[in-house]
Parts: sequence; structure tokens; C-alpha cells
Amino acid sequence: MAATLKGVLQGSLADNVKNSKILVVGAGGIGCEVLKDLVLTGFKTIEVIDLDTIDVSNLNRQFLFRKEHVKKSKSQVARESVLKFNPDVDIKAYHDSVMSPDYDVNFFKQFTLVLNALDNRAARNHVNRMCLAADIPLVESGTAGYLGQVTVIKKGLTECYECQPKPPQKTFPGCTIRNTPSEPIHCVVWAKHLFNQLFGEDDPDQDVSPDTEDPELTAEAGQSALQSEAKTDEIGGIERKSTRVWAMNTGYDPEKLFNKLFRDDIKYLLSMETLWKKRRPPQPLNMTQLPSDTDGNSSAIRDQRQWSVKECANVFSDCLGQLKKELATQGDGGMLVWDKDDETALDFVASVANIRAHIFGIAMKTRFDIKSMAGNIIPAIATTNAIIAGLIIMEAIKILSGKIKSCKTVYLNRVPNDRNRLLVPCTLDPPNPKCYVCAPKPEVTVVVNCTRFKVGALQDKVLKSYLGMVAPDVEIDDGKGTIIISSEEGETEENNDKFLSDFGIRNGTRLKCDDFLQVYSLVVTIAHVEKLEEEKEFEVVGDLSELQPQEEQQQAANGSKPHNGGDKADEKEEEDDLMLIEEEEFEEEQQRMEEETRTTRKRKASSETEPTTKRSKTAEAQAAAGDNDVIEIS
Amino acid sequence: MAETKGSGLDKNNKYDRQLRLWGDHGQSALEAARVCLINATATGTEILKNVILPGIGSFTIVDGHKVRGEDVGNNFFLLADSIGKSRAQVATELLGELNDDVTGNFVEESVETLLESNPDYFSTFSVVVAINLHEKALLQLGGVLWEKNIPLLVCRCYGFIGYLRLAVREHTIVESHPDSALEDLRLDRPFPGLQTFCDSLNMETMTKKEHGHTPWLVLLYKYVQEWKKTHDGQIPKNYKEKNMLKEMIRKGIRQNEEGVPELEENFDEAVTHVNSALVTTRIPSEVQALFDDPCCTNINSESKTFWILCRALHDFVHNEGNGDLPLRGTIPDMTSDSERYIQLQNVYREQAATDMTAIRNRVHALLQSLGRDEPVFVDPKPCGAVSDNEIKTFCRNAAFLRLVRCRSLAEEYGTNTVNKDELNMHLESEEGDDLLFYILLRGVDRFYDEYNRYPGRDNSDVEPDIPKLKTCLTKLLHDWGLSGTVKEDYIHEMCRYGASEVHSIASYMGGVVAQEVIKILTTQFVPINNTYVYNGFLQTSTTVQL
Repeated sequence: MAATLKGVLQGSLADNVKNSKILVVGAGGIGCEVLKDLVLTGFKTIEVIDLDTIDVSNLNRQFLFRKEHVKKSKSQVARESVLKFNPDVDIKAYHDSVMSPDYDVNFFKQFTLVLNALDNRAARNHVNRMCLAADIPLVESGTAGYLGQVTVIKKGLTECYECQPKPPQKTFPGCTIRNTPSEPIHCVVWAKHLFNQLFGEDDPDQDVSPDTEDPELTAEAGQSALQSEAKTDEIGGIERKSTRVWAMNTGYDPEKLFNKLFRDDIKYLLSMETLWKKRRPPQPLNMTQLPSDTDGNSSAIRDQRQWSVKECANVFSDCLGQLKKELATQGDGGMLVWDKDDETALDFVASVANIRAHIFGIAMKTRFDIKSMAGNIIPAIATTNAIIAGLIIMEAIKILSGKIKSCKTVYLNRVPNDRNRLLVPCTLDPPNPKCYVCAPKPEVTVVVNCTRFKVGALQDKVLKSYLGMVAPDVEIDDGKGTIIISSEEGETEENNDKFLSDFGIRNGTRLKCDDFLQVYSLVVTIAHVEKLEEEKEFEVVGDLSELQPQEEQQQAANGSKPHNGGDKADEKEEEDDLMLIEEEEFEEEQQRMEEETRTTRKRKASSETEPTTKRSKTAEAQAAAGDNDVIEIS
Repeated sequence: MAETKGSGLDKNNKYDRQLRLWGDHGQSALEAARVCLINATATGTEILKNVILPGIGSFTIVDGHKVRGEDVGNNFFLLADSIGKSRAQVATELLGELNDDVTGNFVEESVETLLESNPDYFSTFSVVVAINLHEKALLQLGGVLWEKNIPLLVCRCYGFIGYLRLAVREHTIVESHPDSALEDLRLDRPFPGLQTFCDSLNMETMTKKEHGHTPWLVLLYKYVQEWKKTHDGQIPKNYKEKNMLKEMIRKGIRQNEEGVPELEENFDEAVTHVNSALVTTRIPSEVQALFDDPCCTNINSESKTFWILCRALHDFVHNEGNGDLPLRGTIPDMTSDSERYIQLQNVYREQAATDMTAIRNRVHALLQSLGRDEPVFVDPKPCGAVSDNEIKTFCRNAAFLRLVRCRSLAEEYGTNTVNKDELNMHLESEEGDDLLFYILLRGVDRFYDEYNRYPGRDNSDVEPDIPKLKTCLTKLLHDWGLSGTVKEDYIHEMCRYGASEVHSIASYMGGVVAQEVIKILTTQFVPINNTYVYNGFLQTSTTVQL
């Protein structure tokens, strides 16, 4: 069918296209476009993998899906839709996570090329490692609103996805969320935590009650707070550790819950006087004595109108009732999963976040804005995806014609830059020899307090979440080969609650960490410190070359700022070239996406390239709906 | 406008991710739009796909061609069994499946015939997109649409090259969404409300908490007043003076009993904002140009609403505004207790509302003096009137108003009016200039006129066609009065393309052109003026005015 291309795709290229086997990872906005482009460019053998199902909000751009496909598998429907138009192509669809052990190095090795069309960093990290291990070229891409980016990754030739440190995923200190919120997002995060505490999966990191271990509290204040805690518990009969059980016992009674969360807990916070010496103290609310409605612009649609506190309380009551029913339908031990596209779940978070914001004198937000913050929504449109997919195929064609060296990292601007360029192509950088992923012998230093940091946290927070491993094995490099973490189920679970120091791990201990699936080995050197800045539990120091080896130990030991994941203000100024994200759920906090959109890009100079334009947060905020202050990223 | 089949909420959900870019009013404008596509090639259907998905009102395909085998090979919206059928019809049916809220129509006629039989046909569209038109038909269509000020987008994908041309006589933009805009705070020329509010706060008598929670805007106001006293009433102008002001502010931080400065975040914020907040309030040059435009100075009963609003704005600036645009009325987030933050916010809002009312009265008076219908300040507005919301949006964006006037296709193609300086510059520039491909595209059109086919259409034609295309180019450049030549490699490349439409290029241009269509329909963001060339192999692109 692609006969007309014979002249354009010269010589063996047309055959290379026909005979190649392509893996498309993701069948969302970019994935749909890429599948169509591949088929119409003459590719014959394609496999596509996506674990997601279709949502209504996908239909404004993911053109292979229709209303009747909602809730069905993206990869399977995408395959069927493409085949309907082009029956003579071989497409295999997997409704699965690409991070599953079923897709090992041998799976990746069967492909000529891998095209990423992903929306999250964890999967990008993983596919990056799989392609490095299998030595298969990878075309990586991302879009956000009007912005987009395409790049090519090839082992030994180019930077890998993880060669440049990305700004850490934004999280907030627990005590800011629980005790001293100062921004709307803090209230939104708290509201989502409350949802999970009441209806969802129990996560001790998502406690919503006042935090008596706030480092701001002096020993004395902490003492008095503890005393009063005992008192409150008696009076309110509140078991602090399980909000869920308590709520269930009250039958999710709106007034009882409201008064506990927004009156008693706030009063309790007020008792920690140190916190309010320099802050505006919160004002407890009583459900029966809410400020009267000052009717604003009631003509605006519900989504974009600011609800009053009273309205919020009403919505809160209604949602409790509905969510209670939903939970009941799940049977014993059932739980709800918060979803930004679930009306009730979103209403709940919007009302709770606003009530809390009111209490703390923080600006309240519309439901529309809260959706974007809580759901970490990145605006997404058909046009940008179509443009980026076109660019991806052009890079793929270059790789197949043996011209991988002429491949580019291409940035799509929102408007033509000062030099009238909408596209900014940059030459590919060589691998970073200090990269903790693609270097020949990757190493990294992790700064922790060994006597307070548990093996379970090392596994989940450091190795999996931060360092992107899927199933790590960890052995202490002490000559004895003590295995503290095993990827085999049931082998080392009992270690999870033990502290690193229980295994003799201390400053300077080297840990050999392996991920069998990713064919990835990393040596982690532990640097012990008593206390980290900003309540951080750990810090990962990346490129060691920037610090003198001895100095580094010392600096880390003194708790001074390592360059990776340090001061927030510094990071915002930092220029990096991280990949934009396609859309939707990422980590919990929306600030992240702000981080992503405001991403300024590394300037690279070469004869045929030019400096890229800096993108400011304002730029994208302006691009946001009207002059709402929705923070977008792309 | 198409009937909404789903519930309103459903539509909100479906369009959620784009409403965050262009808002409800942008969406309404899209939903009211009628888009015409001439020629349902791969590029054409890609463009339509990308405007149907976000929900335009309706589309119409004008195409006299029957589906051929090669169409099916690169066009997603044609099927193998549609060969021989009307391309307009098949594409309309398949594109229609993309979105229930969009109505699709088709006319199985060539644009040439339609222009002949019913030249007014195109006057009902909001925008027309033309793919692969030959010069004569293109200029004729361009003339008709120019007359009626209907935007025309001309698009073409040729081998690895993409080309886009916007031809619109006048396109006005209220919401241009500038990349970086400073806040409109008026610290250099405080309005009475701001003065009264700031003067009412006494830093000396404040409690410690109040002192540390006084908005930085107030602090900056106060220190600037202080500064003015010793500087002839002038605000700090340069780097050095601003640093001196920063020092003054730092000295205002309270100290504890031991003489150690307290941690007062609001003071830190005031220092940080000295550079960005302390700017001279002025009328941006783009807006001044609008004021000086004859459309603004000579309004009449036929004037577009935009120009009447511009005139009202102009008159406001020279009267109530005392030389300034209406206040935007928003302030950034800052450390403050909520009471005073809200008070300060209201101070700005109230002034903005006062300014808006003054402009509204002026609009009202202008419309009356022009004998137009009484304006009715309601939404949805009756025809001819200007709604309050419209005026509000206009006032809030007063500093960002933009105007695009393209050169016409007739000018671009006219031997005497061709932009030969620009073309010559690109002809003489070093290798890799995207605009060379514009010249080559004009060259292959010349080739088509002479041989009634495109160069290199058959693989065996490539070599023999090279000298022929070269001759065509020489004639073309001669007509333009240019002496340069295009390198042989480029000519060879162009012949090799054989007028084929590569799908990845069509996908790319489909995105770019659709984005311009959306900009035009929503009148948000500034469209490209006027020519855009993409080189798929180098992944480069350039915008120029031709």
C-alpha cells in the first residue's frame, strides 16, 4: 500500500521498514497516533502494550477509541481499530504492565526498535533499562499541552533516559500536610489522604491526624501535646491510629466526622502553641455554626464556581453517604480507589480541601482547579500528539536507514521562538560516564540515618521508588554476602521492619543491589547522618565526581546539602532536560507537574542547533484556561 | 451548531483536558465553528481529525476526486473497499465516527467547478483549509475569501516537506496568552484605592504577627513612597537604585530583643519582587499601534466589535484612565494573613471594576452614536450587541491585544509584489535553509503547469526530470528578478519525492495546521504569519512573511 513511498524511502529503507518489528509502549494519546503512522508508513509487524483502560476524558484525542469503548482495554481496542482500516498488518496487543516480569530482556530483544508513548517516569525508567540491557534503540517522547519532545536513546551512543538527574518527585513534609498547611495543594493532599483513610487503602504515611512529632515542637511543647493527646483520646473516644475504624463505628456520621476533623483536631493543633507563634492560627469550625453564605456569582457553572464553606459542608455530608454505600457494596475488607474522574470522589476531596483551606486562611479553589491539582492533570490535545507522533516516525525512519547518528532531540515550542522556529532540534549527547544506570559500573551514595532507617524503606522508597528497580536483591558487600533483601517472595520479609544498623550497615557500607529483570546491578554506598534537612528520610547523591570523595563523606555526614535533591529553590533554577510527561496520574502531588512544565531545557550549542527557549511556569499558566490560575504543565 | 447528544457533564468530562487550555468560551467558539476542507488527502483528513476530536461544530469536505489505491495507502480515513467511490463521501463518513457532537457534510465537486457555479458557496464558513490546490484555483479561492475576510489555510505535504500558508486580511486576538506577562500592580502610579489602603496600615504600631504578615505589595508601596521623598518623586529606575531600595526594605525587618532580625518572609518576598513588580506602567507598543490604526480612529456602523472596544479603550486611556490601560485587577499569591490579603485583592478588583464600567459606558455610547442596536448586557448576547463578559475579558487582556494582518496570496504571487528580498536572503543563505523548499515547491508547480504532471512521479522519471525542474526554477527566479540558483542536490531530492505524501509528515502537518485552525476559531493565541515550512528529515521548521 505504501507503494508511493518507494521513491521517498530509498533503496533498502523501504524493505527495512517492512521487515522490522516494532514495540509501541503505551496506547494513549501518542500511542494511537504512532500506531496509525506506523501502519501508514509501511510497517507490518507491530506489538503494543498498555495496562490502561479507556476513559471518557481520552476521547478528545485518542482517536482510535469511541464512547462505546470506555472501560475497555486501550491496547486491544487500538489494535482492532487499526486493523479495521488496515487488515493486512500484524498487530499483537498486550493488556498488561510493561514492568511485569513476563517482558524480560529476551522479549525486548526480538524488536528492531522500541517506541515509548508513556505517561509516567517509573515506566520510562524501566523501558530505558530494558532497552539498554537488550541493546535495542529506543525513541522516547512526551507531550504536555502545547509542548512536546522526542529523543533517541541507544546504548553506548547517546545519553540514556536517566543520564541526567531529574528533579525529585515533589512531596511535602508530613507535618506540613498534617499540622501547618500554607498552600491550597497541602489541603488537597490532606483531603486525598483522608479519602484513603476513610475508604481506601490504609497507608501509615497518609495519616491525617495532628502530628505530635513535628520537629518544630520543642521537647517541652511535644510533651504537653502528648499529654493533651491522651486527654483528647479519652474525651472524644478517638483511637488515633485508626480513623477508619472510628468512622465506621459512627456509621460515617457527617456531623461527628466533621466536628472531629475540623473542630477537635484543629483545637488540638492549636494546643501546640509553638506552631502558631509566627503563623496565623487555624480557626476550628463547628458543623452547626458555619459562616453564613455570601452568595457570589451563582450563575457560573458548578465546576468553576467557588463553593462557600456551607456548600462544602453539604457536599461533604452527601459524599460521605454515597461513599459509605459504595464501600458497603464491596463487602468486608473492601476499599475504594480514589479516581479524579469519579464525581463523588472528586466532590469529596474538593469539599474537604476547601473546608481545611478556610480553617487555615488559605485561598479556596474551584472544583475545576482542585481536579487538576488532585488528579495531577496535564492538559492534552490531539494536535500536539499528532505532531509528536510524526516526529517519532521520522526519527524511527532515520534509525532504520542506519543514520542513528543524525537523530536529534526535538523540542516542540508553544509558539515560534525568537528565531521563528517552532521546532528546536538538538544533537544527541553522548552517555554520561557517571550515570547510575548506563555507566559500566554504576554506583550511587544513599544518605540515611542507619539506626532509624528500615530495610523495608530501603527497598520500597530508595530502590524501587527512587532508583526505579522493580524487584531488587540486596547483598551486603562485607565478604560474608549477607542478603538483606531478596526478590523471592517470603525470603526476607522479616527484615523489612529491622533497621539498617541491625545488620551492621553503617557509614561507608557498600550494598550490591541487583535487579534480575532489568539486568541491572548497582553498588549503593551508605553514608550515615544523624539528621537530614527538611525531615527527609534519605537522600540519593548521584554524580559523585562533583564532590571530592573525602569531602563528600564529610559533607554528607554533616548533613549539608548534596547536589541531588537538595534545596527546592535551587532546583527551580536548575536547567535540565527531563522528559515531558504525556498526561495524567503521576505521583500524588500536582506540584510535580508544575515542575515538569516549567522544565527549562538544557542549552546545547552546535552548528545546526540553537539555544532552546526557556519555558517559565507563567507561560503554561497563561496557556491555562482563561485566566484561571490552574497550574498546568504540560 | 451541532446538537449535543451527551449530557453537559459528559461533554465537560470528554473535553476536560483541553478546557484547561482554552476555557469554556474557547470551547463554545469551537463548537460554533464551520470548517471547510478542500481535498481529503491524508494531510486533509489528519487536519480534520484533529479539529473534530476537540469538537468543532461542523465540517464540510469539498472534493471531486474518486478514491485511488494510493490514497488508501497513506490515508487512515479511507478503506481498501472505498476505491472508486467519492473521496469526499468516504472521508466524511469515517471522520464523522470520531465525534458524535460534530456534523459532517460533503460536496462531491472540485473547487474549480464550485467556484465557477457558486462562488458564494464558501462565504458561510468560519475557516477554509485547502490542500494541494493548483495556482489558478488557489488564487481565485484566495480572492473570494479575502474579500469576505474568511481565513484561508493553504497546506501541502510533499515528500519530507510540509508547507502551510495563512491568508487572512485581519485577525484580531483578545486573549493572546503571552508567554510571560508581568503583573499589573501600578506601584509606580498607585491609584487612589491602593494609596488609601496602604496608608491606612501603620507598620510601627503593628503586633509582631501583623508585621510579619503584611503583604509584600504593601511593603513595597510604602518603601517606594519613602524613596520618592528623597528622589524627586521618581521610583528607583536602574539596577543600582533598585538595590538601594532592597537595602531599605531589609532594614525594615523587625529585630528581637537581642538585635537579631526576625524571620519575616513577607520582607524577603518584597525584596525578591523589587525587580519584577517595580516597573513603569505603560501602553505596550502593540496596543499603541491598535490605537493608531485607521480602524480604531475611524469607527463606523460597520466596524467590528473588536475595533469599537479598542476605540472605547483608547478614549478611556485619554480620559478616566489618565494615560493608563484599565487595571487588570489580579494580584499574585503572597505571604499575608487572609484578611488583609482579601482586602488588598478587593482594592485591585474594585479599581478594575470601576475601569471596566467606564469602558462599558464608552462602548455603550459609541454603539449608540453609530446607530447600532442598544447594547444588551446579558449573556448570551443578541446579535450586534456587546456583552459584559466580552468587555470584561477585553479589559483584563487590554495589554495583550494583538492584530494579525497577512499579505494576500495575490500579493505573494504577483510579479511586482513578491517578497523578493526575503526570498533572496534565503536563496543566498548557507545550506539547510527551510525556505529553499518553498522556492522548490513553487518550482514544481511551474513544472506541473508545463508538463501536466509532477517531476519524478515515476521512479524512471527522476533523472530526466532534474534538468527540467532546474529550467522551471530558473524561469521562476528570473520572473522574480532574482539571479541566484538552487543547488542541484535539492532539485534531485525534490524529484525523488515525486509528489508523494508521506504519512508521518501528514501527521505532523495535520497537528500544526489544526492547531492554527483552533487558534483562529477560538481567537486565542497568535497564529503564524504567514508561511511555515517544515523539513522532516532535518526536523527543522521556519516561519516567514511572504
